[in-house]
Amino acid sequence: MSNVGSPLLAQLIDALRVLPGVGGKSAQRMAFHLLERDRDGARRLAQKLVDAVDRIGHCRDCRALSESELCAICASPQRDRGQLCIVESPVDQLAIEQATGYRGLYFVLLGRLSPLDGIGPAELGLDRLAARLGEGGIHEVIIATNPTVEGEATAHLVAQIAKETGTRVSRIAHGVPIGGELEFVDRGTLAHAFGGRLVL
Amino acid sequence: MQRIERQPAFVLHERPYRETSALVEVLTRDHGRVGLVAKGLRSARPRFGRGVVVPLQALEIDWQSRGELGLLTGADPVGAPIPLSGPGLLSALYLNELLVRLLPRHDPHPELAARYATCLGELCTADASAQAWALRRFERDLLGSLGVAPSFEHDAGGRAIEPDRRYRIAAEAGAIAVGLDDDRGTTIAGRSLLALGAETQPDRDCLRELKRLFRELVTHQLGGRGLQAWAVAASARSRTADTDAS
Repeated sequence: MSNVGSPLLAQLIDALRVLPGVGGKSAQRMAFHLLERDRDGARRLAQKLVDAVDRIGHCRDCRALSESELCAICASPQRDRGQLCIVESPVDQLAIEQATGYRGLYFVLLGRLSPLDGIGPAELGLDRLAARLGEGGIHEVIIATNPTVEGEATAHLVAQIAKETGTRVSRIAHGVPIGGELEFVDRGTLAHAFGGRLVL
Repeated sequence: MQRIERQPAFVLHERPYRETSALVEVLTRDHGRVGLVAKGLRSARPRFGRGVVVPLQALEIDWQSRGELGLLTGADPVGAPIPLSGPGLLSALYLNELLVRLLPRHDPHPELAARYATCLGELCTADASAQAWALRRFERDLLGSLGVAPSFEHDAGGRAIEPDRRYRIAAEAGAIAVGLDDDRGTTIAGRSLLALGAETQPDRDCLRELKRLFRELVTHQLGGRGLQAWAVAASARSRTADTDAS
């Protein structure tokens, strides 16, 4: 970090680098922009950051990010309480929410099984998931973990829990992307798409 | 700087590094376990292609070696990924954790790399006992390669192991025969130890004893700490009776 004359400014630039994709140069631009052109915006940003970090926790039922005990989806009377979709992260939940017409509930694992990173069943909240399924009322568990090795291993554990409680389990399909060409699809995806072909 | 080209390898583990890169641990044929920086592996359009630099996919890789970590410069898949699912997949994660924790970097064992590939293939069965047997033989060969396996044919005094006696394993000394009235600690039947030398799958009692034996030996090698995969297996097992592989 070059000497910017003001220790506070240097600290701000350094602090901005926590953001993904922000290196020294971008952090410097952001800091100068906030101080020279938009102090109100900067104040608002600072306040919102503090509010968000202090007040946003995890939903009691689904573990998604939420500032109330129950998130908006879990609290909504319009959602189908019989379906539960299992995702790895809040970003995945958002993706499904935006792309599909899914009207059921979610359970966010906040990670995926990875023994070498110390992430096991406890870290994924699987006990809580088992307790939730044990309460009854959910007739289908839709597993939407990522189609990676860890995601599939996670799916296997979740499926076991669901089967144990007698709940129907489904897994999202893997296949050729829409508008894609077979020639350019990777082997694993094509093998999955072929193996999971549908009868017409 | 050393350049290595077209080296057969399997990814054991991948960990995010910086914005779009990853640190991958690979098991290679001629260079043992190697840690590599894979730039652009986690971008929207992954370098080397989507689903290529992943566990359970046989690869041929190129890298530049500089000090402890190398830089991955090329990766080509060899054949389709190994089609593991369910308990087999959990067992594969167990093997990967075992290798990362026990095998030091840059300690080549070509025979072990070959055994790893064979073992992954053997895990592609729905038979839990066959999976367990595949894991036990891999553990035997891993500890053997590292030079820390006790003899499974002779006891600590050099006498041939007898199938009908029970033995206690002292990790350093090898098997010590115990009398019938001596039930201190865990013991194992001679026939279970002898089964490790024969290449035929023993019965479930033997497999259970061997599983416990290797857990003790691995824990000893890790200085008393266990593996996370065991907690995963325990969780899976508490839900189904039949997952006794890893």
